[in-house]
Amino acid sequence: MRPDFYRTLLSPWPWLVLTVGAVMPLLLPNYYLHILTVTLIYAALASAWNIVGGIAGQISLAHSLFVGAGAMLSSALLVKLGVNMWLGMLAAAAVSAVIGALVSFIDYRFRLGHLSFALITLAFAEMAEIYVIGTDFLGGASGLFLPRDTGDITQFQFGGGRGAYWVMLGMTALCILVNLAILTSPLGYNLRSMRDNENAAQAIGVGLLRNKTLAMTISAVLTSIIGTIYARYLTFADPYLLASPVLTIEIVLFATVGGLGSAIGPALGAFLLAPVGEILRGQLGDKLPGLHYFIYGLVVIGVILASPGGVWSFIKSLGRRRS
Amino acid sequence: MEELLQALVQGFLMGSAYGLLALGMGLVYGVSGIVNFSHGDFVSLGMYLCLAIYTALALDPYVSVIFTLPAMTILGALTYRYLIKPIAGRQLLMVIQLTLGVALLLQNGLMMAFGGQPTRVPSMLESKLFIVGDVIMRAPHLVAAGVSFTLAAALYVMLQSTDVGRSIRAVQQEPRAAALMGVDVGRVQVLTFAIGIGILAIAAALLLPGMPIQPNQGLRFTVITLLVFVLGGMTNFVAIMLGGIVIGVAEAIGTIYMTHTTGQLLPYLIFVAIMLFRPQGLVWRS
Amino acid sequence: MLEARGLTAGYDGVAILRDVNLSVGKGEIVGLLGANNAGKSTLINVFSGIVPAMAGQILLEGEDITHVSAPRRVEMGVVQVPEGRLVFPQMTVRENLLLGGFNATARPNRPRELDHVLSLFPRLGERLGQNAGTLSGGEQQMVAIGRGLMAGARVLMLDEPSLGLSPLFVQFIFEIIDKLHAAGMTILLVEQNLSLTLKHADRCYVLERGVVAVEGDAETVRNDPRTRAAYLGM
Repeated sequence: MRPDFYRTLLSPWPWLVLTVGAVMPLLLPNYYLHILTVTLIYAALASAWNIVGGIAGQISLAHSLFVGAGAMLSSALLVKLGVNMWLGMLAAAAVSAVIGALVSFIDYRFRLGHLSFALITLAFAEMAEIYVIGTDFLGGASGLFLPRDTGDITQFQFGGGRGAYWVMLGMTALCILVNLAILTSPLGYNLRSMRDNENAAQAIGVGLLRNKTLAMTISAVLTSIIGTIYARYLTFADPYLLASPVLTIEIVLFATVGGLGSAIGPALGAFLLAPVGEILRGQLGDKLPGLHYFIYGLVVIGVILASPGGVWSFIKSLGRRRS
Repeated sequence: MEELLQALVQGFLMGSAYGLLALGMGLVYGVSGIVNFSHGDFVSLGMYLCLAIYTALALDPYVSVIFTLPAMTILGALTYRYLIKPIAGRQLLMVIQLTLGVALLLQNGLMMAFGGQPTRVPSMLESKLFIVGDVIMRAPHLVAAGVSFTLAAALYVMLQSTDVGRSIRAVQQEPRAAALMGVDVGRVQVLTFAIGIGILAIAAALLLPGMPIQPNQGLRFTVITLLVFVLGGMTNFVAIMLGGIVIGVAEAIGTIYMTHTTGQLLPYLIFVAIMLFRPQGLVWRS
Repeated sequence: MLEARGLTAGYDGVAILRDVNLSVGKGEIVGLLGANNAGKSTLINVFSGIVPAMAGQILLEGEDITHVSAPRRVEMGVVQVPEGRLVFPQMTVRENLLLGGFNATARPNRPRELDHVLSLFPRLGERLGQNAGTLSGGEQQMVAIGRGLMAGARVLMLDEPSLGLSPLFVQFIFEIIDKLHAAGMTILLVEQNLSLTLKHADRCYVLERGVVAVEGDAETVRNDPRTRAAYLGM
């Protein structure tokens, strides 16, 4: 299975895309750079979610909890206790890993069905939001303002626009790479066999608890780190954005529309939809309230009806038809 | 002690309306295997339709139902026929995302039409109270519970002993055989979705008196409905009504006894606890 | 009565049946034989309108019904009793039978048909209030056939009615088939059980990989070496 992984790495395409991506900040005005950065954040989040939701087929709606931990906890440690945000990032990632492992254990121990798992993780996420908003240390309902970004990397500051963009580009690439690595490894094989039939997978010796926990932990850690970067980028840790289950719903939307279970699909979904959402908000947000989201809803429905199997499989089928 | 009794009664009354919300979801899930995440936004729509009718004709929400019920039923049928049916049978998650798209349309359509400010729709029973012993019951809650149980019973009887009801259950249990017996499965799916949304027109009027409404409240209703629906084992009517009462009581006890934050957490905690120890929900037969 | 002319059909653009010609005369029992995956179930699903025809025609009493919808075909009396019985498990026997008579043509005659079905299967009369899912396989087969009769079948298509039943029940089911035949019912019988089918059917078709390999009366089919070949998949 490994050869697939190296073949993809050695092919020119990923490097070409990465290079083009890397020079973008030199060409784009700030506004579009911002849109691209936000898009990268969602692409990375969707990729990270895909490890659990796509490859392992477990509809986790708990991921806003991990973003929230990464954003709110690291910010609180910095603002309230003066802890370096790098350490804060690691601490939050560790907390997310533990929560992720706990969720997997509960899932394993109580043998939850798909819908129960989705709902229980949603309940966790709802509780997490209520908890964050009710806890002063985490900024409560008003959130936390971070100190100005002076570009000091030792303080987790990347110098605003371009710096944050490059960091997110690297993070997105990392998330896609992790997806690819998992898909071409025994772990990926195990996860997919669990997704298709849990009992059969167990019968051929796939350890459910171990694999579920591993997938969820990797996903939670990546998601949490992206959360920290997101908060730093916004210089404002807003619980209503970063700890809200609505965020998970968006992540799942991008991943599903792009194509669940493939390495590139979820990021592709984000690239297709997130800029549309941002541009619509920029153009129409101050006109009639609700209009931009309304149009966004139409776009979402249109894309789903046009490619009900996911955009990535749609593109692949186009390629196949031509060849 | 009086407080507890008060919480139980109030929770029971509100919970029965939650049960009604979840019945529609259960019906649709049983027949089409889909989970509709725009459920709560259809409730919102029902409420805002009542607002519009009140503004235009000064009609009470309870009376408006004669207009909103057919309107929402038709809208439900159209939604299923033209948006959901083309991708039914695809990954469940894709169908859920589509219904989230519908939720965006509804929520923001309401936002455009009515603005984002919270409003209320006055109703004749709004401030009427019934006091039994030490327990205070608000009249709209009593009506909500009464109508919810009556409607649940009527639906149950319809499913058990009419041809249409039997055809719905047949599609639920063995869609292939139902088709071979001349049941138009596609039509039954459209019909149940329409019924599921139609119920929400009634539920909206029941929940409306005394409740401030906002276009972005839909997701909250969807989440409550989902909790109740899963607690009720997805399709079992009695268990779904019971699940509604459990969530309603948890909510009432949370608001009366606890601090703001933990009070809001309680329904979720109860849900998680029940699901962990009874993954099949409140259904007694496996 | 029921006829397929030059029928080609399959799933997802892949033809499973190719240029099949088959007819069932009024009051006849026609056996449809063949190995697994020969296309027998596909063929009766095309008759039922569940699987669309890619080419060719389906005729009912000479009338072209190729493009008639599945529910409408049930109303016209083309009724299938599916393989594996597929009773509605959480409905009572009575409800299963009533649902059989769901279509508009059959609905007015339900009380009469119910009496008829219960006279054929007295055992079901004792189980009317019981959920069909709790019945034995043989009893479920009775429910499935009863349900098909309730639908007002003029052509009854039975898909593997003996599958998974004890020999005693198999014998009973074939007695019922003979009884229905004697009363003038047109029957298309899909079976793997070669000898029983040859014994009861007026004529037989043997399908092999989607093509009619042999057709004729029991004697012809039994003696044709291609029958054996079709069964052994050679």
